[in-house]
Amino acid sequence: MNVIQVSNLSKDFGEVKAVDQVNFFVKTDEIFGFLGPNGAGKTTTIRMMTGVLRPTSGTIQIYGKEVWKNQIMIKQILGNVPEEANVYMDLTGFQNLNFIGELYSIPKEIRKERAFNLLRQFELYERRNSLAKKYSKGMKQRLLLCMALMSEPKILFLDEPTSGLDVQSSIIIKNLIKEYNKNGMTVFLTTHNMDVANEMCDRIAIINKGKIIKCDTPDNLRTVEREYQAINLYLSKEINPSIFTNVQGIKSFSKVKDYYHAIVSDIDQAISGIIKITTEHNIKIHKINTPEPSLEEVFINAIKEGETKNLE
Amino acid sequence: MIQIKRSFAISKKDLRIYYNKGPVVIQGILFPIMLFLAFTIGREILPIYIISGLMTMVLFLTSTSIGPVVFPWETRQKTLERLITCPISIRTILLGNVWSSFLFGCIFSTVPLILGIIFLGLWKEMNLLILVPGILLAAFSFSSFSLILSVPPTDTPASTMILTILIKFPLIFVSPLFMPISLNPITFISPLSYFLDILNVGLGSPSAFGSLGLFFDFGYLIIFGFVFLFLAFILHAKVLQKRFKG
Ligand SMILES: Nc1ncnc2c1ncn2[C@@H]1O[C@H](COP(=O)(O)OP(=O)(O)O)[C@@H](O)[C@H]1O
Ligand SMILES: [Mg+2]
Repeated sequence: MNVIQVSNLSKDFGEVKAVDQVNFFVKTDEIFGFLGPNGAGKTTTIRMMTGVLRPTSGTIQIYGKEVWKNQIMIKQILGNVPEEANVYMDLTGFQNLNFIGELYSIPKEIRKERAFNLLRQFELYERRNSLAKKYSKGMKQRLLLCMALMSEPKILFLDEPTSGLDVQSSIIIKNLIKEYNKNGMTVFLTTHNMDVANEMCDRIAIINKGKIIKCDTPDNLRTVEREYQAINLYLSKEINPSIFTNVQGIKSFSKVKDYYHAIVSDIDQAISGIIKITTEHNIKIHKINTPEPSLEEVFINAIKEGETKNLE
Repeated sequence: MIQIKRSFAISKKDLRIYYNKGPVVIQGILFPIMLFLAFTIGREILPIYIISGLMTMVLFLTSTSIGPVVFPWETRQKTLERLITCPISIRTILLGNVWSSFLFGCIFSTVPLILGIIFLGLWKEMNLLILVPGILLAAFSFSSFSLILSVPPTDTPASTMILTILIKFPLIFVSPLFMPISLNPITFISPLSYFLDILNVGLGSPSAFGSLGLFFDFGYLIIFGFVFLFLAFILHAKVLQKRFKG
């Protein structure tokens, strides 16, 4: 069953189309990720899904109910950690949780028990009575997660949950999200980090400039990634890049500063072809390296098949 | 109903956060003392007018002290988005703000009353059945009024504070504090006059607005409070989306 169904969703800010005709769905019990560079429209999408922003057009249904029209009811079953959100600095860790519990009308005894359990899980229990302003960034982010989990939500929204965190907090958070998910919670998260998406998500939607470019499992996306690799070549002589573009297996070839950058679909064919040409022209290869192709390279190149792109 | 309970939780949070913050302390203690001295030095004033004037000033200043800063403060601290994804509406948040301002107002304004009772012997003619409802109503009305002042979608508490001061101080200066209420047009406009009148009556002097004066006072404050409360509901709902910038 689809917990979330998003259809033709758009959000304009004046001239800017922050989100542009987006369609996707999220299934029960999965971790679904939005992966994309800064300004792609991730935060705007999540804000519309959590009832913070009103869509310009299109619909978001959660359990079959339109979000904007059933805000209170839907918010009751959501947990949310907004991007760069903050806890109340002048309240203690426990008071922050207790406050959220009250807003969900959780009875006092249960509130306390849940808050303590969460604080233990997220390794904040010892510090439960210190003011949150004394917490480190990672501790605050963990407390925010506890706040989102206070109501035992059916769906958890996380906007860049681990960006800018220390390793320890990041690991605690990632592991616990996975654990909660195993116990039946649907998770929607955004990230600009490919590794986080690969590690956490059951399915990933790649978003850029407000549009979803691709949506699939990490495994399937990785095969796409394998199809496209990048090579940097340092050569002994200047050469016209266009003589490489007809080589089998090379998608694009261009000069960047003091080296040449190629996007290849078949590394084996491409390298044999390159060696053949450099030998013919009596050029020596000084250095060759294979940088990880960036998101933009892999996926945007995949979209713009055939178009030769200047990559700097 | 459940939303009203939740608004109490918000109010408790507001009280915890703001009770020791600048605006409340300055407006509840410092300003009244300074203004009191400015108004009264070198003048002969009846004890009733000292106390009703002080109470009006303190209640008005404190009950309008946190309303204007809550939204900019929460926007700046980045707690607002978290808060509104809880199952509450903007009205719940605003009501929560009203309760906490209301409490500040009630608590601070009883201080001059107690001083008056102890040092000026005002208990003799005092009528608590008028004073208590009057204080409660005025605290509610002024709190609701203050919500309007935080409508501009800024994340700088100082800018709504300035707006607040530009509106609040003239209101205080045109009100007939520390003197008998005279019936000129400005008196009728300022909501403070009606609260002053209630206090004067409650402390044993006749209403400036005639024999039905008290009804007039209470009626005005009730309407004033609810008009601003609903206005705040509408305007804040409109402006809320503008508080979330990329
Ligand atoms: N409140 C806003 N007003 C105007 N433009 C906005 C607003 N919020 C976001 N944007 C713009 O919309 C685009 C998408 O932003 P955002 O959703 O924050 O991207 P992401 O979270 O993927 O980095 C950006 O170009 C951003 O500048
Ligand atoms: Mg973002």
